[in-house]
Amino acid sequence: MAILKLYGWPESTATWRVAIVLHEAKVPFEFVNVNILNADYKTPEYLEKQPFGQIPYIDDDGFILFESRAIGRYIAAEHPESKLIPTDPKKHALFEQAASIEFANFDFNADPLIKALARKRFLGQDSDQAPLDAKMETLEGRLDVYEKILAKQRYIAGDEITLADLFHLPRAQFIETYIKSGVMTSSSRPHVARWYDELLSRPSWKAFEGGVKGILEY
Amino acid sequence: MPFKIYGFPPSTCTRRVALVCKELNVPYELIPVSIPKGEHKAPEYLKRQPFGVVPAIDDDGFTMFESRPVARYLVAKYGKGSTLVPDPKDIIATAKFEQAVSVENNHFDEPAGELFLQLVIKPMRGLPKDEERVKTLLATLNSKLDVYEMVLAKQPYLGGDILTLADLFHLPWLYGLTEKAKLDLVTSRPNVARWYQEISSRPAWQAVKDGA
Repeated sequence: MAILKLYGWPESTATWRVAIVLHEAKVPFEFVNVNILNADYKTPEYLEKQPFGQIPYIDDDGFILFESRAIGRYIAAEHPESKLIPTDPKKHALFEQAASIEFANFDFNADPLIKALARKRFLGQDSDQAPLDAKMETLEGRLDVYEKILAKQRYIAGDEITLADLFHLPRAQFIETYIKSGVMTSSSRPHVARWYDELLSRPSWKAFEGGVKGILEY
Repeated sequence: MPFKIYGFPPSTCTRRVALVCKELNVPYELIPVSIPKGEHKAPEYLKRQPFGVVPAIDDDGFTMFESRPVARYLVAKYGKGSTLVPDPKDIIATAKFEQAVSVENNHFDEPAGELFLQLVIKPMRGLPKDEERVKTLLATLNSKLDVYEMVLAKQPYLGGDILTLADLFHLPWLYGLTEKAKLDLVTSRPNVARWYQEISSRPAWQAVKDGA
């Protein structure tokens, strides 16, 4: 059985999203750096594996999979002992609800903010600030709703941690660190701050401080 | 106790849930939440759906929201024998399904939804179109559908050989863009056209396409 290979970029939030789940499930993996500055993800060979030309993808002993959340779910399914997806039907439904909340509310609004920063950083392009400010305001409005949810339960799907919480972490940390400090840690949203802090303290996050790298042994 | 959908009949996400109810022959009661009247932001509704969007459901006291998770729940609870979601014991088929669901969410939903807003909703409300934005969105959506064309050349459905929720999730926006916005997204793409023709002619979609 060949070791699982994660093709990505050390600082990509989607690559982080997969790395966290690999660590949580204690899956050894090799990290293959896709040179984004060279647009390696747009070569014909790369597009054979990931036809949308994005990172990351995995090659698990010949099985190719892309979309970081799908990869996370695959790893969690292969390693049910990691308990990242509930099996009880109602808890499972609420997990799916939480995973959808992450995408529809958090990622949807985080994405343009992160892309604008990437354009600035890699292409030197400035973006119109007013729409970005509006997006940040929307994101914070959604976090106000998270505050209500997390006041009643420990994690976004219920009282147990699931993939839905972990899926938030890379972009939450990125926005807090590089775009607007206080979004996740503000005392005006103490339950969000508590939840964020707990996620940041997990070994699966700390393992990749400084950039995603492969792990051969846990 | 009938399955209750708190929703707005023409809403994309409300129709997405109704579609899956029809696919599984799950009778439902639609309790109207009027978007034009702002009922989705009323305190009583926010108790059901704290983000203030439709739909939300109540299945004999079990409440939840987000149309795609509701669809998954419907299949899990009422879809014995249904192949709309692969058997979780088949990890590979499930992974490919999840990849396809993520593709719909990540690549299709956003440009499609915003295009519909620009081309159909804004004119309806007497608001001007943002032509530059429309151009960008069209370019994005077309590039994504070019990938769909390649994928669907090799397999009949987005998740593989079997029709799943991943395919059906596309219907509300695709129908809206082709029928209401009159965009030609499929004729130059024979595999996408074949796939869209098949999923859109399903009786379940025909029953709810113009209102849940």
